[in-house]
Amino acid sequence: MTRWRSNGQPGRTSRLIRRMARRYDLYLMLLLPMVWYLVFHYGPLYGLQIAFKNFNLARGIVGSDWAGFEHFLRFFNSYYFWRLLRNTLTINLLSLLVAFPIPILLALLINEIRNKAFSKWLQNITYIPHFISIVVVVGILTVMLSTKGPVNMLVQALGGSETRFLESAGWFKTVFIGSNIWQNMGWQSIIYIAALSGINLQLYEAAKMDGASRLRRIWHVSLPGITPIIVILLILDVGQFMNIGFEKILLLQNNLNLESSDVISTFVYTTGILKGEYSYTAAIGLFNSVINLVLLLIVNGFARRTSETSLW
Amino acid sequence: MVREETGMSKEVIADDRAVLPADERWFDILVYTIAIVIMLVVSYPLLFVVSASFSAPAKVLAGEVWLWPKGITLEAYSNVLHNDKIWRGYGNSILYTFVGTLINLGMTLLAAYPLSRPDLPLRKGLMLIVTLTMFFSGGLIPTYLLVKDLGMVDTMWALIIPGAISTYNLIVMRTYFQSSIPWELQEAAHIDGSSNWRLLLSIILPLSKPILAVMVLFYAVGHWNSFFNALIYIRREELYPLQLVLREILLISQSDAVDSSVGLEDKILLAESIKYVVIIVSSLPVLLMYPFVQRHFVKGVMIGSIKG
Amino acid sequence: MRKPWRRNAVWTMVILGLVVSGCSPGAAGGKEANSAAPAAAAATVSKTGYPIVEEPIKLKMFTRIAPVNGPFKDMPVFQDYGALSNIEVDFIETPTDGFQEKKNLLFASNELPDALFRSSLTPLETIRYGTAGQLIPLENLIDDYAPNFKKLLDEYPEIRSGITTPEGHIYALPAVVTLGAARTDKKWINQSWLEKLNLEEPQTTEELYNVLVAFRDQDPNGNGEADEIPMTARASAGSGQGIPVVNMMSGSFGLDQQLGYNINLIDNQVEIWMGSERNKELLVYLNKLYNEKLLDPEVFSHTEAEYLAKQASGKTGFFFDQTNNPFLDIADQYTGIAPPEGPHGDRLQSQGAPVARDFGAFAITSVNKYPEATLRWIDYFYSVEGSTLLRFGREGEHYELKDGIPYYKEEFLKSGNQAKITPYAGGGAPHLISDQVASYINPPQVQEAQEKLDPHMPKVRYAAPMFDEQTAQRVNILRNDIDKYYEEQSTKFIAGAQSFDKWDEFQATLKKMNIDELQQIYQDAYDKMEK
Repeated sequence: MTRWRSNGQPGRTSRLIRRMARRYDLYLMLLLPMVWYLVFHYGPLYGLQIAFKNFNLARGIVGSDWAGFEHFLRFFNSYYFWRLLRNTLTINLLSLLVAFPIPILLALLINEIRNKAFSKWLQNITYIPHFISIVVVVGILTVMLSTKGPVNMLVQALGGSETRFLESAGWFKTVFIGSNIWQNMGWQSIIYIAALSGINLQLYEAAKMDGASRLRRIWHVSLPGITPIIVILLILDVGQFMNIGFEKILLLQNNLNLESSDVISTFVYTTGILKGEYSYTAAIGLFNSVINLVLLLIVNGFARRTSETSLW
Repeated sequence: MVREETGMSKEVIADDRAVLPADERWFDILVYTIAIVIMLVVSYPLLFVVSASFSAPAKVLAGEVWLWPKGITLEAYSNVLHNDKIWRGYGNSILYTFVGTLINLGMTLLAAYPLSRPDLPLRKGLMLIVTLTMFFSGGLIPTYLLVKDLGMVDTMWALIIPGAISTYNLIVMRTYFQSSIPWELQEAAHIDGSSNWRLLLSIILPLSKPILAVMVLFYAVGHWNSFFNALIYIRREELYPLQLVLREILLISQSDAVDSSVGLEDKILLAESIKYVVIIVSSLPVLLMYPFVQRHFVKGVMIGSIKG
Repeated sequence: MRKPWRRNAVWTMVILGLVVSGCSPGAAGGKEANSAAPAAAAATVSKTGYPIVEEPIKLKMFTRIAPVNGPFKDMPVFQDYGALSNIEVDFIETPTDGFQEKKNLLFASNELPDALFRSSLTPLETIRYGTAGQLIPLENLIDDYAPNFKKLLDEYPEIRSGITTPEGHIYALPAVVTLGAARTDKKWINQSWLEKLNLEEPQTTEELYNVLVAFRDQDPNGNGEADEIPMTARASAGSGQGIPVVNMMSGSFGLDQQLGYNINLIDNQVEIWMGSERNKELLVYLNKLYNEKLLDPEVFSHTEAEYLAKQASGKTGFFFDQTNNPFLDIADQYTGIAPPEGPHGDRLQSQGAPVARDFGAFAITSVNKYPEATLRWIDYFYSVEGSTLLRFGREGEHYELKDGIPYYKEEFLKSGNQAKITPYAGGGAPHLISDQVASYINPPQVQEAQEKLDPHMPKVRYAAPMFDEQTAQRVNILRNDIDKYYEEQSTKFIAGAQSFDKWDEFQATLKKMNIDELQQIYQDAYDKMEK
């Protein structure tokens, strides 16, 4: 600190210290969590260097030889790079457009149900599918969508032709995102329901006095009340743009739908993790993270300027 | 206090009905129709899981079961319920979930509250430090070596301490504090001379029941469903959480027929139906949790507390 | 070897809130122990007879426990053999789930056991750990301390070539399968349908086609519904694992599978046949079967359990599996057939595993003070006597001999404990599987099916070669793209999702992916092996 002072900014630094000292108890609260972050997140960060090395388990992280950007180039030069990128981005973009708003709509819907018992039932039922394991969800999809399954029967009854939903590149994204919505909308709506319950009831009363219809009350009271949480979750979602859980895709994947189901996470799993290629895996992971971070910074900056809500 | 407020919201509803204009009624019909459609769509797979758990595995595999059970059998249930490892796993999971969630909640609160304060110097920098951890991690090996050097391998702490805070949850909680608790309220308390600790305990916490309930749910479900850390850090079988025990059982269905033991095929088939039983048995506790969490999603808490 | 000071230091840092940065990542202590292996211990190890050591010793072994197994310490094989050999083994049992991760962490954190039992090490892993000194080379010890394994090496020279690194080291021992039937999938056909429709066993691919058409159209199960699946096969186990239905039929089109890959060996020339005309013919044939619904439409997507259920349902006409276990209840409806003869007169059973079937099943680490005794300990299981003990347990209690061949006792089978007492259940155990110890997996029906295949098996089936680390890395990179492309495109050709007009493009892309370089690497490896 003394060195700083001699640098010729005495006023600003000491004012900061004074401000900090006044709120020392807030820092006391932060002490334990911050130590935890340093130890458990920043401590192991030296492991990142394996992305630039030819990591050899036996020689350790520090002892392995440097490889420079070899692993990154290998990924960029992979025959499948563009397909992986395209599929990852389109699936995430479609999810953002279609799957992201649905839990919000569900929460608003639940909020509008006046029969409290019915509303609780609806919440409880939509919540359950979250706990069905992925293997079983895929099993259910197989039964549903097989050529002799109920969906195909319906399609044929309506005059359509037999469709192989699970073995066609064209249907893959619909099946994947649709089943995600079906499984997770209830679970994801919980956070919005909680936020809705934090809205001051007097605001609704006031709106009603002004003669606002229910739709207008949703638009002018409910929605603004949960906008901060929506914005934050949106930012966090964009910050995961390059990631897709690989388990479900892997189970749904076959050579006939690979054209649209081949994504970075499954690629990392099959060519990196399963084959013990730590460095390659780390390099692709780092590439993803950097893109994710850049996207997050962009969206966060945009949010800060337009909506007052942002990460910092 | 809470009860009083629900009472109030009922009054509001009753009041609503009295003056229900026609378009409001249409709105209600629309709301209920959509709700019922969603309920049916979502109930179907649940019914399927229950049916499949009672059905003969061969029928399930052949795609014959799609609504009601076929070839009803309780074999899968008796197999699961007579397995001592499962019960021990149950006990372990309950313990880990309880202790873990408690620590999660404490740690997240300690971080989220100060970071929600607009008057905290260096807040942006601290937020950045926290947020970056969502993107960069050292990977499995350095983390393992750390946990090992802390002497936590093969103890329940390896499942709890390294995951003490979820940054995602931390950010959600902080956002709730910022957006749902009026800053004026906190400033007023400050002027009264209460310390930040007092402020947190006597004003923030009572006003944050919905988000605390959500956090309990998120963290508890996270602990309940997690297996990877146990896979890496736990060696002694008596410490296995439920999910690990269940994964082992389900793995039978991937056994290599080449080195099959006697009756392996039967076991593979059985594992098929066990899959469904496992969902029912293992998710029951977390399903039962939700109504308790729901109880805290009550409107009007805010006003009541200000009044009180 | 605990280092309490280090733990305390870390805790101190935690308390002080310092970043733990330089905290000894990776392996440090591996080499010290290496040189410390006492030469004196070797002197007391007897080269023949039992006990192996006069003074009892203890070994720590890392092992995989399958879901069906009981605790290793309760297995009769380790109890009895421990008493016989004077070597007590303390097993660190790791479940199949997460086994690979834990194995990696073992080497990464250098917490080495004395040996790894049933370790499924890959060639690349053995080379890495061997070069780094964490695994010790065994080739010089084998002559003196592994007489049974040595005998197998002499009898089947391809074992040695499959487990020796280019530098000439053997770091890991495989499971050895001399029983042909345990290395191939039989071609099972529905005998009762053939009889009902008055058909002969198909001898050519053309006859097979006709038989399948009859299965599809003539309602052989007589239930009035067209619910028969004329032909099915396993789905692919993942990228790089091949397409089972292609592998099963490739022999009829003159396509062999040598060196663990899609390779024909003709006059010592390695030919990767993926882009060849013969392969096109094969794919055209399969495409015809698929289009006409002779080949199960779910053949690329069903799960293993669904496939097994199809076998057991009796509604399938023609499929492939190693044993008759999955359809045991209706086994008499099926019979094994020889590979059908293809359009160019080829009749090869090209699918199959090499004699050294499970690579990397056993390895000794550098911290082991008794490598000679440890090698002798494992060598027992490469004898029929040792393998019998491992697979069958105790005579009288678990098995009885009929014509000198062990069979499980009926009462014991009924107890349902069979898989609990033997580490072979669940796969990958280092031992010998010969016809003398395989009564259960090799019942008469399977033997007959195998006899039909035997005349069509390649003379020698070469295992995947061992490359040095750099070459292995290169092969990995090349094959990641090539295999994925080949499998995806082949599947599309078969399913008609892509027309054969694209064949030239397919060939060109394979070339662009450096398939010629890959072929040269395999050629070099083969030349080295044959020297």
